[in-house]
Amino acid sequence: VRPESLKGHLDALILAVLASGPLHGYAIIEELKRRSGGVLALPEGTVYPALHRLEASGLLASSWEDGARRRRVYRLSAKGRRELGVRRGEWREFASVVEAVLA
Amino acid sequence: VSYLDDLSEQLSSVGVAGRQRARILAEIADHLSCDPSANLGAPDALARQFADELGTTRARHAAFTSFAALALVGMLFAAALMTFPGGVLGIPGNQPTPFAGDLGAGIMILASQVAFVAGTLAALRALHRRRDGVIARSEAVVMVRRSAVALGAGVATMVGMALVAVALRSQVAPWWPTLALVSAGVGVAALAAATPAALRAGRLRPVHAGGAGDMFDDLGPVTPGWLRGKHWTCAALTAAAVAIVVTIAGAVQADGYDGALRGILDGGACLAGFALLGRYLGLRA
Repeated sequence: VRPESLKGHLDALILAVLASGPLHGYAIIEELKRRSGGVLALPEGTVYPALHRLEASGLLASSWEDGARRRRVYRLSAKGRRELGVRRGEWREFASVVEAVLA
Repeated sequence: VSYLDDLSEQLSSVGVAGRQRARILAEIADHLSCDPSANLGAPDALARQFADELGTTRARHAAFTSFAALALVGMLFAAALMTFPGGVLGIPGNQPTPFAGDLGAGIMILASQVAFVAGTLAALRALHRRRDGVIARSEAVVMVRRSAVALGAGVATMVGMALVAVALRSQVAPWWPTLALVSAGVGVAALAAATPAALRAGRLRPVHAGGAGDMFDDLGPVTPGWLRGKHWTCAALTAAAVAIVVTIAGAVQADGYDGALRGILDGGACLAGFALLGRYLGLRA
């Protein structure tokens, strides 16, 4: 999948990954790769600006986690969970319409 | 020069500074320690992406925050005007108005209209661009300018109202100056609370190129086709509509001559405002 094909869907993908629990930046990218079987090989740097933007929009919350390494851990906010529901609905509708046309 | 040093420099060059830059560098450093061969993209491209995405979010946030504060100010302003003992801008018993009262009323009337127009247009543009991840730098600049002008004019409105309250304290029932001064204080506090969002947006702007748009981008499909691109015609029609409404309101409240005078002054002020601030606020090219 070409990176430009993901444009417009990255936010929903990040929200979906974080719906299962808090993760730090590197783990989010790894989880995106794992869930897509390695097909979603997006440029890794693009995820960080999106994380900061989603947090500034109130869809994510984050905090430092002190362990062996100090890491910024992201979690879904209540607003983010609602937004994910909206995005899922939009995607299902879009996918079914495209499928109906292409089939 | 290491990747992180280069990124730090590039972030500074696009306006990402302080704690925000330190946090980005810490996250990227953590990423690189997990995977030293990670492909994070060129430092300048990554820095530009941060500026684009954060600058866009901040500009939108500033517009919505300013509008929310102005909505509260508008309610306080309307409540004070509507409960004024002599009716809207009327002095009980036709007593002469002190100069400070006239000055305050003048500031209040003009500034409230500037605040309403600038704040509404900032929020309208932000609403139109609510789903866009990145907007052009020039568009973000316009959004932040509108928010800043709206906040400044909102403060001027509240100062004008306080001036009127102080000037007329011996001519009206004592509860009204108290109400007006408390309202002005609450209004200024709300506007002050919204100011940091505008300041943050002013410090970090997107770097993405593109046009700022104009008043027709704000109004969208509401504008009839024949009017599109005719900025001055649109401004003149708006000024005429304002003049007619003010004239009718003035005629009902006072007399026809006084109403017409107020209408002409208000319509003229609309056109003057458009001439002075139209380009700065991105209403015309």
